[in-house]
Amino acid sequence: MTKSITSKLILLLTLCLAVILSIGMAIDYRLSRDEILSRLQLESIDTVNAVVTDLENWLDSVEGATQFLGRVLEQREYTPAGLKQMLKDLVENNDDIYGAAIALSPDVTDHPMGFAPYYYRKNNSLEFVDIASKQEKYWQQPWYAEAVNAAKPVWVEPYFDTGGGEVLMTTFSVPIYRRDNNGQRFLYGVVTADITLEELHQYLQRLRLGKSGFGILLSRAGIILSARDPEIIMHHHLEAAEGALDVAAWKKLVSGVQNGQVMSSQIDCPDILGSCMIRLSALQPTGWPVGVIYAEDEILAPLRDYQIRTALLGLVTLLVMVAVVSLVSRRLTRPLTALAQVTDQIAQGKLDVPLPRIQGEDEVARLIRAFAAMKENLRTYIDDLESATAARSRLVGELAAAREIQMAMLPQGGQALEQSATFALWATVRPAKTVGGDLYTYYCDDNNRLFITVGDVSDKGVPAALFMAKTISHIQQYSTAFTVPATGMALLNNALEAGNSNCMFVTLFFGVLDLNSGLLQFASAGHTPPSLVRGGEATPVDQLSGPALGLAANLEFPTNSLQLRPGDRLAIYTDGIDEAFNEQAQMFSSERFDRALESSIKDTPTEAGVHILQLVDDFAGTTAQSDDITLMLIDVLALPAVAARDKIHSSFEPGPLLTSRVGNWLQDELRKFDLDNVLIMELMLVSEEVATNIAKYAELPADGEIILSIARSDTDVLLEFADPGMPFDPLQDSLGANLGADIESAEIGGLGVHLIRELTDEQRYQRLDGHNILRLSKTLSSAG
Amino acid sequence: MKLTTNTTIDETSSVARVALTGALNTDTAPAFDQQLQDLVASNYKLTVLDMKELDYISSAGLRVIFKAAKQSKAAGNRLAAANRKPHIDKVFEILKALPDMAVFADDKELDEYLDAMQDQVKGS
Repeated sequence: MTKSITSKLILLLTLCLAVILSIGMAIDYRLSRDEILSRLQLESIDTVNAVVTDLENWLDSVEGATQFLGRVLEQREYTPAGLKQMLKDLVENNDDIYGAAIALSPDVTDHPMGFAPYYYRKNNSLEFVDIASKQEKYWQQPWYAEAVNAAKPVWVEPYFDTGGGEVLMTTFSVPIYRRDNNGQRFLYGVVTADITLEELHQYLQRLRLGKSGFGILLSRAGIILSARDPEIIMHHHLEAAEGALDVAAWKKLVSGVQNGQVMSSQIDCPDILGSCMIRLSALQPTGWPVGVIYAEDEILAPLRDYQIRTALLGLVTLLVMVAVVSLVSRRLTRPLTALAQVTDQIAQGKLDVPLPRIQGEDEVARLIRAFAAMKENLRTYIDDLESATAARSRLVGELAAAREIQMAMLPQGGQALEQSATFALWATVRPAKTVGGDLYTYYCDDNNRLFITVGDVSDKGVPAALFMAKTISHIQQYSTAFTVPATGMALLNNALEAGNSNCMFVTLFFGVLDLNSGLLQFASAGHTPPSLVRGGEATPVDQLSGPALGLAANLEFPTNSLQLRPGDRLAIYTDGIDEAFNEQAQMFSSERFDRALESSIKDTPTEAGVHILQLVDDFAGTTAQSDDITLMLIDVLALPAVAARDKIHSSFEPGPLLTSRVGNWLQDELRKFDLDNVLIMELMLVSEEVATNIAKYAELPADGEIILSIARSDTDVLLEFADPGMPFDPLQDSLGANLGADIESAEIGGLGVHLIRELTDEQRYQRLDGHNILRLSKTLSSAG
Repeated sequence: MKLTTNTTIDETSSVARVALTGALNTDTAPAFDQQLQDLVASNYKLTVLDMKELDYISSAGLRVIFKAAKQSKAAGNRLAAANRKPHIDKVFEILKALPDMAVFADDKELDEYLDAMQDQVKGS
């Protein structure tokens, strides 16, 4: 889900929008806050100013009315009744005045107690009382004395009015001076006007800022006239401030105001929400500090409301945005989702699945159209591929059949193993492609001659295979005429040249091995010389070669001769072996082939052949086989010579005088071979050693006999010992003694092996049909 | 294929002379071994095997001779093979058996050796 374009879009756009909105709101908030703050401050100032102005107007009117009465009384004399009337008028006509008194100086009145009429409001009516009757020596009261002492109108510190209204009040006292007849100025009395603290408090109630803000009014002496808490009224402000707010800061504020300044500060006031703003100024008429205390937080409440509103608005905007983006992106990606599902099905090979329908020219539409085109191309491509594959597999099938047919043309189907008493032959063909141009043939005629061909047609693949077939058929056709290789080769060449317009050619080794004499006569038509392994060493056979077959008619081919001996291994091969390349573009080479032959000389021809081809494969590594490979190995065994010639043999029972019986017979027979005496002696010696070994180690059965066969050719004398004893190879199994000092302790057989090896030229052991066969040959010197 | 031997003893010079005729092979070796053992046990200074008439020797025969040669040497005496025919000499060489033996190519060398030995006896 989180990987879909829709969710990515929503996530990204929401994040971006949230950031943008946040930044916008932050800027807006910053600007709005300042504005709101300054507006609130102005408002608070206005509020304070308005209240102060109202208070001042009120106090002014109180002062004015009082002072007017004072001035009137300065000028004119009134009867006590007249004074009372004037006083009553004053209170009646001025709602602002709670009560008013005219307290005459005791010096100007005849009343011993003085005269001080006082009107005040009570329950919406005016009450009268003569203060003189209530308060003894009222002239000693502050409201009187202070004005007199000051000799000017004063506002008296608030007090509780006893005997009158019985309320807390403050009084504006105006001293009245008159001049006597001498022009001497004297105190006539004092006119007072009272205002109740209750009234003041009503005014200050209007100074409400915020929920818990309140106005405060102090007297000049610092007595609290009005505050939120009625308890602290009439207490000194410092007393009230103790514990309620930061006293030092408050004190500084108050003293500043008392010096005529307008103070404003933010101080700690645990009483009201921890921190409060205080604005303090002085009332003009009275000099009373008046101010307002409020919590800034409460004042800023509208600002906070504004913030919350803005944040909510942002949130709602975001949600709407997410919904819209989700809607839009889903709408945009719906075809893509459908396309993805269809693509999955196409990937499974269902090319008939319809693609999502789409209108318009946008990218998605183009994509889907491209997909449609791709689908069509894919279908066409797959159809083409299918028909091509069908054709190819048909071809492969045909080639496989062709391969079988071709292999059937070769003796034993291309994997030949011929094991006879006279020779062992192993051969194989491995085409580089399914079919190839390499070939081999062999057959043995009635005269004990082995005819061998190994050939390599130029090029490879089908053309080479066809030409190979032609070659093989001609070889078979002329087989009876092939007694002399050079003649056979010439015949074959003419047959292949006929009608060979595209100049295919074949290199061919053609040999005739006389199994009686071991003489190999061969002709080569440009073929790689075979290798001969003799005495553990492999070397290429020297050859005179003719041209490749099939290119020109009436050519001659030289005949080569090679005398093979028992124990020889002849390897005839095609250039697919020595010209096999490895990854470094190096050739396997004839030298490596010869080393491979040497390393496998102890193996049977089959094992050796498989081993050599494996070496070629290992050498080539990952490089593909570039040319057809043919390998033929022919082992010449020692037996065929004896077996094939007029051999002479005799059987000997083991027992007393075995050696003499063998020696006597051998001496007689060898003398018939016209051999010199020393050689006869040596061969007798060898025979004795062999016979002794057999009698001693082979554990012959009761009726077991040792059969000794001998034969002589022009070049050698052959001895063959056969016995039915347990497998025993005297060449390997007998302990060859250390010569010299240890001779005395050496086993007899151990000494004998040295003599056998030294006195004969070839030794070969073979286990055949439950018999130990030991073949020894002695080459005759040319003089012999 | 028989072996005949003719032994002559020269007591004065302490030399035993064995003339071998015929073939010393696996069949004839055991009898000759016994005969030679007896002779070596007689403790003559020199035992000469005269092979002038020996036509044939096999490894079994050689083994008998080596054994006697070793025993003679151990007893402070010598065993010699004289007048070996070429093909018999070849067998000796193949088996590298000569070092332990006194070897004389022919009668002349043998006589010289005998003279020298007698001089030693007289001289001592």
